[in-house]
Amino acid sequence: MKKLLIALSLILSATPIMAADIDGTVESRCTVATTVDGKYGNPNAYTLTTDPASSGQVPVIRFDTTLANAYYAQVTYPTSFSSSPSLADNVTWTGAVTLKAHGESGMSGYQAASTTTGAMRQYGLSVAGSVWFQSTSVAVYGGNRAFPGGAYKAVVLAECVAQ
Amino acid sequence: MRSSVALCLLLFNYAVHSHEQTPTYPKWTVSGVSEVKKTQIRLWNSRPDIEYYEIGVFDGDWQPIPFVTAYKILPVKYLQEVKVDIYIKKSNIEEARYVCSLSKLRSNNESQTLLVTRICSKFK
Repeated sequence: MKKLLIALSLILSATPIMAADIDGTVESRCTVATTVDGKYGNPNAYTLTTDPASSGQVPVIRFDTTLANAYYAQVTYPTSFSSSPSLADNVTWTGAVTLKAHGESGMSGYQAASTTTGAMRQYGLSVAGSVWFQSTSVAVYGGNRAFPGGAYKAVVLAECVAQ
Repeated sequence: MRSSVALCLLLFNYAVHSHEQTPTYPKWTVSGVSEVKKTQIRLWNSRPDIEYYEIGVFDGDWQPIPFVTAYKILPVKYLQEVKVDIYIKKSNIEEARYVCSLSKLRSNNESQTLLVTRICSKFK
């Protein structure tokens, strides 16, 4: 028995030790996702709005980042229709981009720290994780005239720009 | 806090249709042709409403910089990953600050807000 143990210990000590390295890198990335599609409600003949009280739906956009301070999120509410029936009068646009929800507690100050340029609001994504923004918009046809019948589309631009 | 967590869980349950681009900070490498440098970006499309992305290279003031790719508007199928090689003249490298991919929309017949997504990587 003693000989067997000695033999085993000799074999084990002669076995080369294999070190298996596991390498990995954390790659910074940004993902922009639509979580809720926007839809216009028509509370009266001359207004199109994303307000849910008027049968509209506010679009919600999610930004996922894996590293802090690597990206800006920029969301721009629409200021024109990308497609619509022919319109003879001006359309007045109003809108707002706001923080809807956040996955990390450090993101609660995003709205206060954000900046605006025209219809675009920029957020510095200083914490890694998921954050949701919503973009409301209201289009009122000039002189309170009725919008012509047809489909109306407007574009919300969501950008993730490396810092 | 509780309501915020509940809202996050609710929003996570919606189908997520996303656009992703890496790396955040690409580098220029040799291309095999003198006076021309190359970089590569990776696009991931999980937006079923999007089939094409437009590639652009811009300077610090968001003015376009000339570049070459196989397609400037390239097809990226739903749930497909595409690697894009971008070539630029050495003389333009100092100016080039961003390389971006922009989703291209198709029309339909509903009154709605559409979402255009753009992701920009930065040359540092």
